[in-house]
Amino acid sequence: MKHSDFDIIVVGGGHAGVEAALAIARMGKTSALLTMDKTKLALMSCNPAIGGLGKSHIVKEIDALGGVMGQAIDATGIQFRKLNLSRGPAVWATRAQADRIGYNKFICDFVAAQSKVTVIEATAGDILTEQGRVSGIRTEDGQTILAPAVIICSGTFLGGLIHIGDKQIPSGRRGEKGAYKLSQSFRSLGFEVGRLKTGTPPRLDGKTIDYSKCEAQPGLEPPPFFSYRSKPREIKQVPCHLTYTTVATKEIILANLKKSAMFSGQIHSRGPRYCPSIEDKIYRFSDKPRQHIFLEPEGNGTDEIYPNGFSTSLPADVQHDAIRTVIGLENVEMTQAGYAIEYDYCPSYQIKPSLETHRLPGLFLAGQINGTSGYEEAAGLGLIAGINAVLYLQNEPAFIPNRAESYLGVMLDDLVSHSTTEPYRMFTSRAEYRLRLREDNARDRMIEYARRYSLIPEDDYRSFEVLQKQTRAAIAMLEKKYIAVSQLDGYAEYFVKRQSISLADILKIPGVEYKYIAKFLDNGDRIDNEILERASVAIKYSGYISKQEREVEKFRRSESQKIPADLPFEKLTGLRNEAREKFARFRPTSLGQASRIEGVTVGDIAALSIHVRKFTAQRS
Amino acid sequence: MDSHTQDYCRETIAAIITPPGEGGLGAIRIAGPDSAKILNSLFKPAHDPESIAGYFILRYGYIIDSHGDTVDEVTAVMMPAGRSYTGQEQAEIFCHGGQFVLKRILKEIIDRGARLAEPGEFTRRAFLAGRIDLTKAEAVADMVAAKTAFAYESAKNNLMGLFSEKINSLREQVIDILAEIEASVDYPEEDIETADRDEMIAKIGNIISLVGELAASYRSGRIIKEGFRIAVAGRPNAGKSSLFNALLNQSRAIVAPVPGTTRDYLTEWIDLEGIAVSLTDTAGLRESQGVIEKSGQDAARQIMKDSNLIIWIADASRKNFASEIEIDLKKLEGLCPVKVILNKIDKLSLKRLKAAKMIARGYSAVVISCKTREGLDNLRSKLVSLVSGSLPDLTDGLVVTSERHKQKLDLALESLKQAESDFKQNQSPEIIAFNLRQSINEIDEISGRIYNEEILDRIFEKFCIGK
Ligand SMILES: Cc1cc2nc3c(=O)[nH]c(=O)nc-3n(C[C@H](O)[C@H](O)[C@H](O)COP(=O)(O)OP(=O)(O)OC[C@H]3O[C@@H](n4cnc5c(N)ncnc54)[C@H](O)[C@@H]3O)c2cc1C
Ligand SMILES: Nc1nc2c(ncn2[C@@H]2O[C@H](COP(=O)(O)OP(=O)(O)O)[C@@H](O)[C@H]2O)c(=O)[nH]1
Repeated sequence: MKHSDFDIIVVGGGHAGVEAALAIARMGKTSALLTMDKTKLALMSCNPAIGGLGKSHIVKEIDALGGVMGQAIDATGIQFRKLNLSRGPAVWATRAQADRIGYNKFICDFVAAQSKVTVIEATAGDILTEQGRVSGIRTEDGQTILAPAVIICSGTFLGGLIHIGDKQIPSGRRGEKGAYKLSQSFRSLGFEVGRLKTGTPPRLDGKTIDYSKCEAQPGLEPPPFFSYRSKPREIKQVPCHLTYTTVATKEIILANLKKSAMFSGQIHSRGPRYCPSIEDKIYRFSDKPRQHIFLEPEGNGTDEIYPNGFSTSLPADVQHDAIRTVIGLENVEMTQAGYAIEYDYCPSYQIKPSLETHRLPGLFLAGQINGTSGYEEAAGLGLIAGINAVLYLQNEPAFIPNRAESYLGVMLDDLVSHSTTEPYRMFTSRAEYRLRLREDNARDRMIEYARRYSLIPEDDYRSFEVLQKQTRAAIAMLEKKYIAVSQLDGYAEYFVKRQSISLADILKIPGVEYKYIAKFLDNGDRIDNEILERASVAIKYSGYISKQEREVEKFRRSESQKIPADLPFEKLTGLRNEAREKFARFRPTSLGQASRIEGVTVGDIAALSIHVRKFTAQRS
Repeated sequence: MDSHTQDYCRETIAAIITPPGEGGLGAIRIAGPDSAKILNSLFKPAHDPESIAGYFILRYGYIIDSHGDTVDEVTAVMMPAGRSYTGQEQAEIFCHGGQFVLKRILKEIIDRGARLAEPGEFTRRAFLAGRIDLTKAEAVADMVAAKTAFAYESAKNNLMGLFSEKINSLREQVIDILAEIEASVDYPEEDIETADRDEMIAKIGNIISLVGELAASYRSGRIIKEGFRIAVAGRPNAGKSSLFNALLNQSRAIVAPVPGTTRDYLTEWIDLEGIAVSLTDTAGLRESQGVIEKSGQDAARQIMKDSNLIIWIADASRKNFASEIEIDLKKLEGLCPVKVILNKIDKLSLKRLKAAKMIARGYSAVVISCKTREGLDNLRSKLVSLVSGSLPDLTDGLVVTSERHKQKLDLALESLKQAESDFKQNQSPEIIAFNLRQSINEIDEISGRIYNEEILDRIFEKFCIGK
């Protein structure tokens, strides 16, 4: 059987692959979604949760671009919270516990409903090329599928090797086969393939947990949703529980440290520093009396519990003994052991900001294969790769959101300017223009792109335009409406020398939210809460944002100084060797990007800019 | 990018690096990828003529022009890229110190493909090559311009990296605090132990006082770099011009430390114990410009305002000079510090002199006679202590001598103070972080960590040719 009737092939039905295929469909193109098990689309390999700091921002951007992740978690979440509520709205982050299987089913159904996506159950073995461009995929069982663009989203499956103590199991994810041919295909095409590792905790039987010893953490009411499409509705939220390790946990783990795959030297590749295993945490912070563990339910129809914070690659019997020393888990039964997994990835200097590889036109990489970690990061990259693969077919300039407008832009830029030595995950501190990049304005930031690439229905665009207009009117009203300072309860000390004060100025007080000023609005001024909140947050940060405007302008200017893709970086004279190597490796697309490459100095950029000008002048 | 950075990487540049005029020795520097090629094509070693100039070996030989004629007898040296002043491959030729011979050799070099270096271009390359940071590059200019002991000391401190070390350590300290805040923002669920709030406020307070001190040192720094400005002022015929000339005769005259700041012949520069001091005779204003009294007064007032010290001279032989001083000093209030001087004591009877000295004591005034030169030595030593009292002890500290640095430090200070008060008001951490980041940006502009072509141009345009 030979498929040649697809516009694009997407390899891997994880979070990245699914968003890629769906974006391609929204843009009117067909795709083959090649995956190893078609019942496992967008399965959560690890934590049954979506969102959190930086990640929720990405989900909202994906949602604004018409992606599915937000809708899927809103439909299948069993607990919704907002983190950082004591801080300012720029760093609020929505987080939801998912019904893991429900989420996976939702995505399977959603994809099945898309006529332009054809799911094919097979394992990609070779990347096919023709005249220096990608031309398709050959599966491990010998089928050839042809398409002028291919996106690889292989997750943790390439060369996947699970470690539990000294046991090693070739696998892509617990209970699933890995893919052992594709990496070789990458290598023979000249790509560098590296190795990373990540880990996951054991799963527990909730029926054997004594919750009375743990602290319940309920969801927030009403549940905060991710997607602008989700209508408010009631759901039965389930609590998570907080508990702690004990001195006994420490003793057992320290006594067995050498049996951990991470400590025995069996694993050489790097894992994420920000997501250490329990043995790592106990070893590194041995003066800390206890570590906290969140007990997170895996879904509605299951008693399985995910003990967040107890990721480990110790032997199963040690895991069992150790977990039983955690408060409330004295009699717990493990349903599955924790493990570490090593897998192949393609160090991200090999991709352009569009996610197309430098080396092979038409080949795009998205998700964990770029050295990232996390469902949201993967989904965001998948979406970008999907859009850009279509643009590639249409010979149009790539969609490259920048650092000043989105977390997606921050992520793309970080990937193409830095070597990933550990799995990359998003943090809000990665965004230097963080106050502009908020959950609440994700649609404002993304809507024009969504429209340009037809990623959302035109009606959504129109109704959002109305919302934007109402928000602007609300901002103007809040700036104009003054009240007597004496009417303020509790905040008068902020305005000692003033008689009256605008509602806008009140909003700039730390901790003041739209709810507080709502009471000062008369009937004539009364506005919808959603609009009032949007306006309030915009006002809160407006001073800071305009203070940063000059910097953003400078940033934009250096981004617009483009570097021709065919500039012979390897041959540039007058550069420090280190700089030349860096440039040749990362092949920056703008002077701005070049200046963010690690170890590059101001002088290197000056020299590079001269070459760029010469090169451009000579060519024209 | 402007012509100054033109082809930093490809073009080889050359310039005479010794000052114009005759001298025992003249020097020419060549920098850039073709330096060795150019040197070897015109330099013939006296011993082993076929060999080429080696790195860091000073060789004796001849400069031979394109016709094969010997131009001069010289010594020459090559320096490899990475180990030269510019950071690039570089050659230096030492010839006889006449302008004609220097220019002939330079022409030979230019004919072989080098370009004449722009002012400051060698140092600019050193900066672009990452050999020195911006503060050091700026110190090079200061060192070259240094005319007094103080200017030299402070330029040397900066050149040795004292200032950049300080700036970098401030940056590190801000980043430490920022990291704590960022951790608490990005990991709300982890119970990582962040430093407590009071401790952070104290840390920021400490940085603020360090940055504040540094910024405040510009008051002295400016004096070191641009000199200490004294306006000689007083009523007509009080003896301003006479004093101006007397002080000049007493000291070593120097040229102005910052070119172009000499206003006109009314201002002269002297070296007062290692400090460049300018004296401006406001009497000359009227006479020189023949302007109407009013605008002459305005101009004098402006000069006084720009000064570090006013010497207010009064004619002690006038009957009611005491009440005149009273009136005049009122008008000077708020301009700048004033030193009162009572002149023409030679005209006073013993009794009136006694009375004058009584009055003088009330103003800590100095009594002198320009005619007999009585009291002038005393005045000079008073001035020395006034001037040097305005300067810090350079052995234990750093002084900001650049207006650019001062501006950036002020901006950094503003952001840091904002962060501090935000902290105290329990402002949310993303806002505190915002202000800390702003302050880091400003600090980075001082050291040139951030690429900013405008800044570079402004800095390097102050250099002379050959540096
Ligand atoms: C043990 C473990 C622990 C983790 N821990 C964390 C964590 O603590 N925090 C965190 O943020 N993230 C963690 N992750 C990462 C998170 O699961 C991934 O980042 C995310 O799922 C990546 O999405 P993806 O779409 O790139 O790939 P995946 O979700 O891994 O999906 C890959 C898909 O591609 C298919 N596939 C692979 N190769 C082929 C092939 N050759 N042919 C056809 N189909 C193929 C697979 O069948 C699979 O469906 C962990 C993952 C694992 C496995
Ligand atoms: N007797 C005496 N005459 C002086 C002295 N200083 C200045 N004069 C005279 O006072 C007159 C005015 O002096 P000048 O310096 O021109 O005053 P200016 O107008 O303040 O600049 C001149 O005739 C000077 O010679 C002094 O100390 N003693």
